[in-house]
Amino acid sequence: MIGPSSTQSLSLVSIDVGSVNTRAFFFDNVEGRYRFLAAGEAPSTIGAPAFDINLGVLEAIDQLQEFTGRTFLSDRGLLISHENVDGVGANAVGITFSGGPPLKVVTVGLLSEVSFDSVNKLVRSSYCHVVESLSLNDRRRPEAFIDAICQTLPDLVVVAGGTNRGASRSVIRLVNYLALALNLIPENQRPHVLFVGNENLQEEIDNLLGALTTLLHSPNIRPNLDQESLGPALQILNTIYFEIQAKKLSGLKELRDLSEGQIRTPALSLGRVVRFLSNVIDAPKGMLGIDIGASNTLVASAFAGDLQQRVFTDLGVGGSLPGMIAETHLAQIMRWLPYDLSEDFVLDYLHNKPMFARALPASQEELAIEQAVARQVMRLAIGKSLDLFPPNAIYPLAGTVPWFDRILVSGSAVSKAPRMEQSLLIILDALQPVGITTVILDQNSLVNAVGVGAEIDPLLAVHVLESNSFINLGTVISPVGNTRGNGSALLRIQIVREGRKEDVVEVREGGISTIPLSAGHVADVYVQPLQNVNIGLGPGRGGWVRRVVGGVFGLIIDARGRPIQVPTSFNRRQEVLKTWQDALTRS
Amino acid sequence: MIAPVSYIQPLTTIRRNRRLPVDGQVLVKIGDVVHSSDAVARANLEASHLILDSARALGMSVDRAAKLIQRGVGEQVEAGTIIAGRRGVGNRQLRAPAAGQIAAISEAQILLQVSDESSLLQARVPGQITDIDPGRGVTIECVGAWVQGVWGNKRLGEGILHLVGDRQDQALTADQVDMSLRGAILVAGTCEHRQALELAAQVPIRGLVLGSLTTKLLPLALKLAYPIVLIEGFGKTPMNEDAFKLFSTVSGETATLNAQYPNPLNGDRPEVIIPIPDAGKPPQAVPMQSFRVGQAVHILVGAERGLIGDITALLPSSTYYPSGLHATGASVKLLGKGEVGIPLVNLELLG
Repeated sequence: MIGPSSTQSLSLVSIDVGSVNTRAFFFDNVEGRYRFLAAGEAPSTIGAPAFDINLGVLEAIDQLQEFTGRTFLSDRGLLISHENVDGVGANAVGITFSGGPPLKVVTVGLLSEVSFDSVNKLVRSSYCHVVESLSLNDRRRPEAFIDAICQTLPDLVVVAGGTNRGASRSVIRLVNYLALALNLIPENQRPHVLFVGNENLQEEIDNLLGALTTLLHSPNIRPNLDQESLGPALQILNTIYFEIQAKKLSGLKELRDLSEGQIRTPALSLGRVVRFLSNVIDAPKGMLGIDIGASNTLVASAFAGDLQQRVFTDLGVGGSLPGMIAETHLAQIMRWLPYDLSEDFVLDYLHNKPMFARALPASQEELAIEQAVARQVMRLAIGKSLDLFPPNAIYPLAGTVPWFDRILVSGSAVSKAPRMEQSLLIILDALQPVGITTVILDQNSLVNAVGVGAEIDPLLAVHVLESNSFINLGTVISPVGNTRGNGSALLRIQIVREGRKEDVVEVREGGISTIPLSAGHVADVYVQPLQNVNIGLGPGRGGWVRRVVGGVFGLIIDARGRPIQVPTSFNRRQEVLKTWQDALTRS
Repeated sequence: MIAPVSYIQPLTTIRRNRRLPVDGQVLVKIGDVVHSSDAVARANLEASHLILDSARALGMSVDRAAKLIQRGVGEQVEAGTIIAGRRGVGNRQLRAPAAGQIAAISEAQILLQVSDESSLLQARVPGQITDIDPGRGVTIECVGAWVQGVWGNKRLGEGILHLVGDRQDQALTADQVDMSLRGAILVAGTCEHRQALELAAQVPIRGLVLGSLTTKLLPLALKLAYPIVLIEGFGKTPMNEDAFKLFSTVSGETATLNAQYPNPLNGDRPEVIIPIPDAGKPPQAVPMQSFRVGQAVHILVGAERGLIGDITALLPSSTYYPSGLHATGASVKLLGKGEVGIPLVNLELLG
C-alpha cells in the first residue's frame, strides 16, 4: 500500500471490491482530524459481461470525483502521490478485495483435537472452501485422499502437524501422500502448499515438495499442545489468496500493483478494527464485528485484543444464499415477516435472489423477505461462531453469545434499510445480545476502508471511528433468565444525567422499550432486576452502569428474553412484530 | 454503469470456448463439425490409484528400498509384475497387485494407476471447431437463433421445438403431454404441476423451456434426465414477449438445450440454440454496453418481472421506490402498460 513518507496528515482513497459492489472512499484531514468525506459505488465487474475488475473500480472513482469535485483520475490512472495537494488525487491508497470465489483448499493435519482442528480453523478465518481433508483419524485408504486431490483440483493445500520438536514421522508420511498426488497433476496446475506445522521439519518438507510446487512456510500454528497461533499464518494466507486470485481474475494484478502488493481481505480489515476497539473495552467483556455481504459473512470477536474470526463463504444474502437455504427451515424466515405472504412466494424469491444478487427488493414485502434473510444469515453465522468466544467471558445465559460491550455491524442488507429501526431490529433479532451492549451501525460500509487505512495511519481509524460516520444506534440492556411470562415488571431503571436523577422507569417483560438518551450524551444508569434475570451482573443482581453513551434510539431495553420467541400464527405474529417495530419508531 | 445483458437473437454467430480444467487431450480438429453431446477433449481426472510401499514390502529403509525399485514413472505393468526388490528365490519382492501404470514415485512409495476413467468434455453447443488450444480445449462456432436463460438443471439435449400453447403465460399441465411429443423440446410459460414434469419424462421429451417454474418442483427438476431451461426464474412469471415470439418463429426446428448452471464469474448461462445452416456469418452479439435512453430492457424482479420496455429517462440516485429504498434508476415505458420507475440494478439490456 502506498503510504505516507512521514507522520504528516494525508488524504486517502480506499477501494473495496466485493462480489456485487465496488466502492471508493475518500478520507481527508479536516481541522486536524481525519474525516470520511465521500463514497462512490458501482457494480463490481469481476464476471460477465465486463470480466475486468478495474472497470467497476474506475466507475466508483468516477462517482467519487463527481461527488467531491476533486480529480482522482488522469490518463495514467489513479493520482496517488505524497506530493498531491488540495483538489488533486490523494496521498495514499488502500485496497480490500473479496470479489472472487473462495479458494478451494485441502487441509492436512495430524489429530482432530490438535493440529487438524487448528488448520481448519485457520482456513475458516479466510476466504477458503475446504474441498478435502486428511488427518491421522481418517479411516479411508490414503489412495482415496490422492484421488480426491486429483478430482477436486484445489488451489491450495495447507499442511499442519507436530509441535516444534514434536511429531515428525507422521507428518512426513502425510506429506508424502501429498507429494504423490501433486505428481499426478500437470505442473502448471498444481496447488500451492502452505506448511504451518513443526518448524523443525521445514528442510524435509522442502525436499519433498519444493521441486513440485510453490511451497510456503509459516510459523507453526501449534508450537506446543496448549498454544495456538494463527496470526502469522493468516497473514501469509492473505498473500497467497491474492496471488492465486490474481491469476484467475482479470484486473486484480493491476489492482495489487496499484497498492504495491499490500492489498487486504475485508476479513483482515474487520479483524483489525474489532481488535483495536476491544482494547478500549474493560475485560472480560468483548467486541463483536459482523459484516454480512452477498457472498460472504464475516464474524470477528476480540477480548482484550485477542482476535478470533471466521469467514463464512457459504453464507450471504446474494450469491451465497443457497448456503443459508440448505440449513434453514422456511419457518425460520417466515417468522420475521409482518406480511401475509405465501410460502411459495417466499421460496420463489429466495431461489431467484442468487441469480440476481445485485437487484434491490421492489416492494415492502420483498424488502421484508430480504431483511428476514439477513436475520437468518447472521443468526446462522453467530451460531456457528460460538466456539470462537472465550470460556472465561461473561455468559449471562448458557448457550448464547457472551456479553459484548459493543457490536459493530456492516453490510448493505442491514445498513441500507430504509429506516434505522429496521436496522436495529435486524441486529437484535439476529444476534440476540445479552448484557449491556452498544450497537454501532456501519451505515456507509466503511469498516474495510478504515481497517486498511489504519495500516497507513492508525490515527485514521481512531478519528473516523470516533466520528459520526459510524452510527451509534444506542445501548441495549438485555435481561435474560427465567421470567414469569405474564408480562409483569422486569426491571426498574433510573437515569442520572449530569448529576440529576430522573424518574424511575419500570420495564415489563416481553417487549422492547426505549429511554431517550441523545447521541453523544452520557448518563449513568441504575438497573434493578425485579425478577431473577441477569443483565450481566449476575442473576437477580442490579447495579450502576456508568457512562452509558446515547445513540439514535437512546437506551433500549430488550426484554423479549433469549431466544426470542415469535408467535407462529400469522395474525399474532404480525401484531407482535408491529409492536416491536413501533416501540422503536416512537423513540 | 455496465449493464447486464440477456441475449434473444434471431440470427447471430455464437462462439464458445470449451476448456478442460487440467491438461488433457483434444479429440477433434479444426473444421470438424460437432453435435452438442460430442466429446471434444478428455482429461485423466477420474483415475483411481494404489499406493505400494516398497520399504515396508522389502523390510528395509526408505533409502535402500528406493534403490531397488525396478520400474519407472509411466511404465505399464501387469498384475504380478515385480516392481521392487531383487530377483531370485528367497529375496523379498514387491509385485503389482493389479495391472496399471506407474503414476508417481516418492520416498520409496509407488503410486500405481489402476483405472483410467477419463472425464470427457462435451461440446454442449452444435457447431464447427474453429480453434484449438492444444491439450486444453477448443473454440466452437455456430450460426443460429439464440436465447439465454437464467437457470438450468445441468442437463443437455437436442430435439424439435414444440410450443405447448399460443400464449407466453401458458401453463404446462399433464393433459398437454402425450406420446406425440416424444423427442420434442417443449416450450411453455410456467409449470406448477409435478405430474406434467413426470409424464414428460416418461414420454420421453428431449427438453423443456419455461418462463418460470414453481420452486417446489426444483428438487424434481434437478433429478429429471431431460434438460430444463428457465428464461425468467422461479415462480409464476410468464416468458418474456421477445423470447416467446422467437420460439414461435422457430417452432418445429431442431434446437439444443444447454441447461448449464449459471455462473456469473465465467459468464456461463443456460441457453437455447437453434442452428440455422447456410445463413452466412452474421455478427456476434455486442458484449457490453451501458444503460441509455431508448434501449430495450427486461425487468428482473418485482411485480413487473419478465416485462420488456424501453428506457425513456435515467433517474438520479435520490429516486425512491415502493420498497422505501433509493437508487439510480430508469423510467421504463412498458408495452401497453404505461411507465414505471425501476432501479437500474433490477434491469438488464436485451441484446
